Amino acid sequence: MAEWDTVVEGAHVVVTAPARLTLTNASRLKGLVDQTVRDHPPRVVIDLSGTEFVDSSGLGALVGGLKSARQAGGDLRLAGAGDQVRMVLGLTNLDRVLRSYDDLAAAVGDW
Amino acid sequence: MTGEAGGSTSYVASGLAVPEQLDQLHELLRSAVAQHAAVPAEALMMFETAVMEIAGNVVEHGQPRGQVLWRFELTVGQGSLTALLSDSGEEYESLVDGDMPDEWAESGRGIPLAAATLHELKFRRRAGVNQWRMVRNYEPVTSEPTAP
Repeated sequence: MAEWDTVVEGAHVVVTAPARLTLTNASRLKGLVDQTVRDHPPRVVIDLSGTEFVDSSGLGALVGGLKSARQAGGDLRLAGAGDQVRMVLGLTNLDRVLRSYDDLAAAVGDW
Repeated sequence: MTGEAGGSTSYVASGLAVPEQLDQLHELLRSAVAQHAAVPAEALMMFETAVMEIAGNVVEHGQPRGQVLWRFELTVGQGSLTALLSDSGEEYESLVDGDMPDEWAESGRGIPLAAATLHELKFRRRAGVNQWRMVRNYEPVTSEPTAP
């Protein structure tokens, strides 16, 4: 899927993150997640398989999206994160709250 | 612009510190380091994470917004990556230089994250210029000799 694609798949929604999730576009991701949890089942997977770089603004958008999904009674999960994304999740301790799965199938396995 | 001295190679870029320039800075960093096979991928990953955090900080907080000029100088040395990022912006009112915020915070991770991925992160303001110095050391990758 192309970046920013938002696809409803039954009881969950997959949002495809861009190649670089940074200061320049993080607010777009947060906006997409907020809209998604208003309009659809609030179970959101962020597909990071095409994302090679995330900065702290991108991390902030993921945390904000997780909060929105939880407040709507759902959840937000990550799928397919690469080396840099996993590194920054670990260094910022966000791997404690943002659940990361190897791929989309694993992320939605129990949904 | 490129220069070489004492086994080190330097790359320089300058312009306006605006969001559109961040990707160009990132590309310069990657293409420059790609010319040096001895730099391990993990060192580059750590270094670029820090550089983009600090550059993003200048874009986001530099005043007057949209009018700040910056100069980026990257030096690829034998065992270290060094970046100097200077900007013409006003003196920062405060620099977040503390611990990593808690997991539910949506901001405030930039400088702690940069510090966590570097061996040296220093800021100083001198002669009306803000300057960040970032250093990531590395153990050079040596290519295996091919079997006869």
